[in-house]
Amino acid sequence: MQTTARVVVPIIVLVSVSLLLQGHNHPGGGFIAGVLTAVAFALLYAAYGLDYLDIGVLNRDVESGSGIFEQRTVRAYRRTFLLGLVLAVGSGLAAVALGAPFLAQTYRIVESVPIYHEIELASALAFDLGVYFVVVGALLTVISVVGGE
Amino acid sequence: MNQIVIAPLLVAVVAVVATLALGRRPALQRATSVAGAIVYAASVALLAWRVVLAPDAGPATYQSGGWPAPFGITLVADALSAFMLVLAATVGLWSVAVAVRVLDRENQRVFYHPLFHCMLLGVTGAFLTGDLFNLFVWFEVMLMASYVFVAFYGGAKHTAGAFRYLVPNVVGSAVMLLGIGGLYATVGTLNMADMARRLADPAAYGIDVAPVVGLSAFVLATFALKAGLVPFQFWVPSAYRAAPLPAAAMLAGVTKKVGIYAVIRLYFTVFAAAGLDGATLPGTGVGITGDSPLAFLGPVLLAMAVASIAVGGVGAVGRETVDELLAYSSIGQVGFIALPVALAASAPSGAVRRAAVAAALVYALHHALAKGLLFLSTATVRGATGTTRLSELGGLGQRSPVLSAAFLVGSLSLVGIPPLAGFFGKFLVFEVAARHFATVPTAAAAVPLAAALVGAVLTIVYITRTWIGGFWGTQTPQVGQATVDPVQVGLLAALAAVILAAGVAFDPVYRFATAAAEAALDRGAYVDLVDPAPGTTLLAAGTGAGGALGSSGGAARPDRAGERGAGTENGNRPADGGEGT
Repeated sequence: MQTTARVVVPIIVLVSVSLLLQGHNHPGGGFIAGVLTAVAFALLYAAYGLDYLDIGVLNRDVESGSGIFEQRTVRAYRRTFLLGLVLAVGSGLAAVALGAPFLAQTYRIVESVPIYHEIELASALAFDLGVYFVVVGALLTVISVVGGE
Repeated sequence: MNQIVIAPLLVAVVAVVATLALGRRPALQRATSVAGAIVYAASVALLAWRVVLAPDAGPATYQSGGWPAPFGITLVADALSAFMLVLAATVGLWSVAVAVRVLDRENQRVFYHPLFHCMLLGVTGAFLTGDLFNLFVWFEVMLMASYVFVAFYGGAKHTAGAFRYLVPNVVGSAVMLLGIGGLYATVGTLNMADMARRLADPAAYGIDVAPVVGLSAFVLATFALKAGLVPFQFWVPSAYRAAPLPAAAMLAGVTKKVGIYAVIRLYFTVFAAAGLDGATLPGTGVGITGDSPLAFLGPVLLAMAVASIAVGGVGAVGRETVDELLAYSSIGQVGFIALPVALAASAPSGAVRRAAVAAALVYALHHALAKGLLFLSTATVRGATGTTRLSELGGLGQRSPVLSAAFLVGSLSLVGIPPLAGFFGKFLVFEVAARHFATVPTAAAAVPLAAALVGAVLTIVYITRTWIGGFWGTQTPQVGQATVDPVQVGLLAALAAVILAAGVAFDPVYRFATAAAEAALDRGAYVDLVDPAPGTTLLAAGTGAGGALGSSGGAARPDRAGERGAGTENGNRPADGGEGT
C-alpha cells in the first residue's frame, strides 16, 4: 500500500491541478480538483498513518496535549478553508466593486508566452481556486479530526 | 444593474467569512456578528424602500454573473420577497443581539456566529432567488446551518434531536430534488418566470402538463416538512428544545416561513399558470378536478393546516417546560398560516385570493415576531434561573416586571388581543375562513372556521397555563436567586414595542402585505419582470423545433435538453462584466 501510494499520489495531485486549471472551459473545476487533492492526502494518511505529515514530511514532532481540533495541522487546514472562502467571496465582490454583477467573470488571452505560445487567463480561476481551498481545507479537517478519534 | 437586490445576500456572506476569520478574537467576533446583522437589516430596509415603500418603487431583478434570464440565476426582489426579508431581518437582528448576551462565551466562539449568518444567508437566498434549483441550494445552505444548531450542545438529547431532524430533512431534500429534476424534464426550464410562461402555453412548448401536478406535490411535501406541518411535524419539538434558544427563535420565526414562502411563490406564481383541463390521474382514469395544481393544493394543504392546528394546540397544552410548549405551539401557529393559503388556493375570485394570501403573510409576520419574542424571553429566563420547567418557575412577574411584561406582550399577541400585531393576524385569518363559509355554506366549509376557533381557544389555554405557572404565584428558589440581565430585558422590551407598533400602526403593514400578496398572484408582472424571452430569441432555432415536435406529441424532450445546452454554449462568454442587462 505504501508503494502504491508513493506512485499514485503525485499522479493524483497532478491530475487535480490540471482539472483546476482547465475547469472554466472544460470538465473539471475547483470542487472536483479539491476532492482529488483531499483523496491524495487521505491515501497518505491511510498508508502511513495520521502523524506522517508531521514526522515524515515536515520533520517535526507531533503536538500533544491540546485537542485534535487545535493541532497545528488541523489549524492549517482550517486556515486553508478560510483562505478559500475569502478568495471565492472576494472574487465575486471584486466584480461588484468594478460595477459588474456579482460573480461576473472575464478572461484575457496572453500572447507569446514561451512554450505555451498563448495562455488564457480567466478571472474564474480565482473563484475556482477559492473553491479548491475550501474543499481541501474542509475535507482534510474532517478526515484528520474524525481519523484522530 | 441594481446592486441593492443582491446586497442582503452579500452582507450575509461577508458576515460569515468575517466571523469565521475572527474566531480567535471572541469579543471582536461578537461585535462583528451584531454589526453584520445591523448592516443586513439596513440593506433589507433599503431594499424594501426601493421595492415597495418609496414613491417610485418597483420590483427589481438581478442577473448574477451577468448571465441572461432563463440560463443564469436570476434574483427577484418583488414585494413578496421584500416582505419576507423584512421579517427575517427583524427576528435575526434580535436573535443575534440576545444570543450575544445569553449564550456562554465559549459556546459562542465555537462557530455560533458564522453558523447564524450562514442560516441568514440561506434564508435570504431562498427569498430572493428566481430559479427553482437555486431555491433547493439555498434550502440546503439554511438546513446545513440549522442541523449544527440543533446538535450544538452535543449531549445525548441534542444528538437524538439532531438525528430526528436530520433524517427526515435529508429524505425531504432528496424528494425535493426528484421533484425539481422531474419538473425540469417536463417543462424544460428551471427559471421560475420561464416556467410560468411555458406552463401558461404548454402546447407551444410541447409540455405534458399532467405530471406537473404530481411533481409539484413532491415539492409541496418537502416544503410542508420544512414548515413543520402535520404529518411532518414530528421533528419540531425535539429540534427546538435541543437548539440554543436564540437559534430556536430563528428556526421557529424565520426558517419555517421559508417553507410557507416557497409554497406561495411556487404554487401561486408558477404552477397556477398550468391549465389541466381533461387531465386524468394515470392508471385510475379519475379526472383531476380544477384547473391547475393550485386546485390540487387547496384541499391537501387545508387538511394539513387543520391537523397542525389541532396537533400543535393539544400538544402544547400538556407540556411541562416553556420551550417545549412553544415548540408545539409553533406547529399549531404554522397551521394558522397555512389555513388561509389553502383557502386562497381554492378561492373563486382574485380579490378573495389576494385577501387570503395577505392574511397568511400578516399572520406569518406576527408569528415570527411574537414567537421570536417568546423564545428569546425564554432564553433570558433560562439564563437567569437555569430552568424552563413550569414547576420550577413561579413569581417571575414579581422578580422582573419588565421581562414579564415583554413575555406578556408576546403571549397576548399570540392569543390575538388588540392592539397588538397578533390581533390583526388572527382577525384576517378568521375573516378569510368566515368568508369561505359564507360563499359555500356547507358543513365541510365550516371546518376551517371551526379549526381556527378551536386553535384560538387552545392558544388561550396554554398561554394562560404558562403565565400562571411561570409568572404568577410565589417565587421559587430558582427565581428568587436569579439575576436578570438588564441589557437582555431592554432588548426584549424593544421587540415587544415593535409588536405593539406593528399593531397600532397596522395600516402600512397591511398595505405592505397586500402589495406582497399582489406580487405573489400577478404572474404576468413576474414574468415580464424577469423577462426570460431575450434568451429564447437567442435560441430561436431550438425553440422552433421544440414547438413543432411538441405539437405532434410529447417527444420534444431531448430537443429541449439540447436547447439549454446550446444556450450555455452561446452564453459561455458573457462579455467583460457589466453588459448583462
